[in-house]
Amino acid sequence: MHELLLFASVPAHQHHELLQQLAGLTAMQPRHRLERRLVFKAHRKPGLSNARGGTNQGADIVRLNKMLNGGMYYTQVVGPISEPDFETQPSSSGDPDAPMSGTDETAGSSYDYDSQPWKLEFRDIPEAGTRSTITARLAASATLPKGDIVTPMNAWGYSFVTEYVVEGDAFIHNDIVIFLHRVLQYPIHGQEPHEPRRQLPSFRDMSPLERSGSYILQAAITVQDGSNQELMRTASQHLFGLREQLKSAVRLEHADRLSLDTRAK
Amino acid sequence: MADSFTLPLRPVIEKRDRPDSLPRDIAQINAQWGSFRELSEASLREKIEADKNKDPWAEEDEVEKETADLDTSERKEQLYKRRAEIIQFALQAHMEASFALDFVSLLLSKHNPRQAETSMSPFLKTAAPLGSLNSEIINPPPRPDTALKDIKSVSRGWRLQNFNSAASKLLNAGTRLDTEVDAEKDYWDQVLAIKEKGWKVCRLPRDGQALGVQYGFLEATPIFRDRGLAALRRADDGKLVLDKGLIPRKAQGVRVRIKQQDRISGCSKVCRPSQDAESIESRILQARDTLFEEELFHEMMREARILGNQGVTTRQNLVTIPVSEEQEILLDLVDWDQDHALEEAGFSSEQNDLADAISHSIRILLTFAHRQNLRRRTQPPPPLAPKRRPTLEYQILRPVMAYLQHKSHIQWLETYIAKLRRVLEAAGIRCDFNATQFSSIGVLQPSHLVPKVESLVGVFLAPFESTFSGTLITPQSSFRVRIRTNPTIPPVGTFYDISVNLPQFPDVQPLSRVGLQEEVAQAITHFVMLDIAAAISLQNQEGSGKVSWEVAYPHHGELLAVDTAGQSKKMKVSLSHEELNIQTYSLSRAEGFANPVAAKSSLLSYTWNPDTPGPQPSLADFVAQASQT
Repeated sequence: MHELLLFASVPAHQHHELLQQLAGLTAMQPRHRLERRLVFKAHRKPGLSNARGGTNQGADIVRLNKMLNGGMYYTQVVGPISEPDFETQPSSSGDPDAPMSGTDETAGSSYDYDSQPWKLEFRDIPEAGTRSTITARLAASATLPKGDIVTPMNAWGYSFVTEYVVEGDAFIHNDIVIFLHRVLQYPIHGQEPHEPRRQLPSFRDMSPLERSGSYILQAAITVQDGSNQELMRTASQHLFGLREQLKSAVRLEHADRLSLDTRAK
Repeated sequence: MADSFTLPLRPVIEKRDRPDSLPRDIAQINAQWGSFRELSEASLREKIEADKNKDPWAEEDEVEKETADLDTSERKEQLYKRRAEIIQFALQAHMEASFALDFVSLLLSKHNPRQAETSMSPFLKTAAPLGSLNSEIINPPPRPDTALKDIKSVSRGWRLQNFNSAASKLLNAGTRLDTEVDAEKDYWDQVLAIKEKGWKVCRLPRDGQALGVQYGFLEATPIFRDRGLAALRRADDGKLVLDKGLIPRKAQGVRVRIKQQDRISGCSKVCRPSQDAESIESRILQARDTLFEEELFHEMMREARILGNQGVTTRQNLVTIPVSEEQEILLDLVDWDQDHALEEAGFSSEQNDLADAISHSIRILLTFAHRQNLRRRTQPPPPLAPKRRPTLEYQILRPVMAYLQHKSHIQWLETYIAKLRRVLEAAGIRCDFNATQFSSIGVLQPSHLVPKVESLVGVFLAPFESTFSGTLITPQSSFRVRIRTNPTIPPVGTFYDISVNLPQFPDVQPLSRVGLQEEVAQAITHFVMLDIAAAISLQNQEGSGKVSWEVAYPHHGELLAVDTAGQSKKMKVSLSHEELNIQTYSLSRAEGFANPVAAKSSLLSYTWNPDTPGPQPSLADFVAQASQT
């Protein structure tokens, strides 16, 4: 599956107006989305790289090694949440904004970490060269088990790095998903936890990553088969059409390739 | 503002006293008419009339008339002569023009030799050197006073005339602007009125100068969606005109008719255009309704084509749906104002309610389809693939058909069971039947994801289910018939599932997926007959000193009894939905099976028929009688 993207930066004061414009363009009400995003990093499992086989299996082993050790990527695990999930009312005297894992402080909280659905999202580094006016990258996603996700991810060779929340509104315009969003960070008190939070802080305590409060407009279209040139062309034409339509409001552009690099170094 | 300061634009014309007007008029009349006596009002009027009627080309016609009399050779000669004359005139004109050109060129060549040279004739170039002619301004001789006075009055007249025309032009422009402003004001007032009523007013995508009103349905098929936009144009007088382009102006709608045995027995109500047909609002409404109806018919046609395997036929402007053997539904798109005459043509209206119900349901189903489209459109789309998603036919006819079909099956089964019950009651057998019709409807699972309206319609798109159950004569035995009609997912159609609980006959298996009504009828009668046979055998055990009947061949309804003398008797039960018949035969044990026909001799026989008047003996009485040795 391939993903074609265009981005635009939307200053905070334009946000409301753009929401209305997009609602008019797509003839639909915005769909509010809140997502927990956990960042995982692939790491080499010790002992796999020095597996040596017989000579007749050499080619296979080489290929397997290449697959296992060739590219290491960051991946994201995405879980949809809703605003009520943030309304934590801890009855205990503990600090509400430091939900440490392990302290079973579930009293009053509507958020249930153990039934949180997850989805794995893998995004490759955008393709170089060919389509310089559009960001195209390989994309794949898979549904993951609910609840505690760190254990299975560790077993697959991924370690937890950090997490953040994405808040925004999505619109659908034919095949294009327009997502006007911003990144929210958890309030930090002391040390960053090494595991996903089991409880969510109050929504008001979440701070935008971009201090000015500006939003990112992302127009994405997914293509089943990235090797089908015809389809890729159609998809990028759709995106360019949208760019033309939104020209007077925002300027959609491709993103810097290296800023979307997901390779783990 | 206009009142505050007015500026006279027309020049003020002084009234001149004309002391000499009369003598001048008399002189003119004398010159024109000869004598004053010949002038009268009548003659003047005649003259005016004559001038009015006179053809400006009449004189030429007269000439032509003359020429027509001449014969051809003379005409030819005359033609040549005329032609020569024309040519001569032309040549002369040309010559004079050349002279004038030469003259002017020579004159100019003094100051601008190069340019003047180009327009000089070659002869002049050789004859006269360039710049040999010059001109100078000389003082003209002083004009006489009379000429000066003339010029003065003429120029004064000219100026007055120009002022006049300028003034009238300005005033015209003023009034034109006035009316224009009024018209614009009217137009915008009306546009605002439309907007305030909640219609979506927008700029036309193709024609950026014009305004449009959107009345179509956003979720309709693209061809109909794009037609739901009409331009709001302004007539010259400021009236708002709804410009729908090439769409026919007539109001159209889908009409539902019910045909019962080749006779129209019901027609849906005609939606008449409102009284206030001229107001812009009602015209927008009418345009919207017509669009909706056209789309409805279009979608029904599309659906009807895939329903060919279920007997649905389409003509150019007609969809025919068979409901049962004698009932058909006709759907067509008609002009609303056209079918009044047809209505009066006199068909019965006993099934108007059904037709109205159908016409409402198909409209509800189309709007439901629109809502589904919105739902689908606002979901994240699947990845772009080479194969486009096919646009599925909406479910408009199928739920209606399934409902009607289901209903007719229920009615059939109900009447059948009622008949059977009457037969049984005639024989004094009590049995209970109860029916749960459309048990699938009415089970509405509330969900916060789907609005209540949509889940309500959704129920009608699911398979319909009804159950009939009844208890039989012997205790603990019962039967249950489940009717299911599936509108969309194959196998479409109505199926019966019959489950039966007969403790006496544990090997009797339930029947499932029966499609034919005859088979269902047979099965039910058979099960009831089995139960009657079982009941007879059970009843006998109570009595003492009588023969006891035992079920021998249950599926043939035969029972056997052996009395004390070794004489064996046979009882045969036969049941149909019209009557119950029980016969007993005596047959000797020895030859009974070898030659049953010869051995048989009927002892007792009774037929229970619900139509027989008077009291009838009950089954129990008859069996008791038959059991007597």
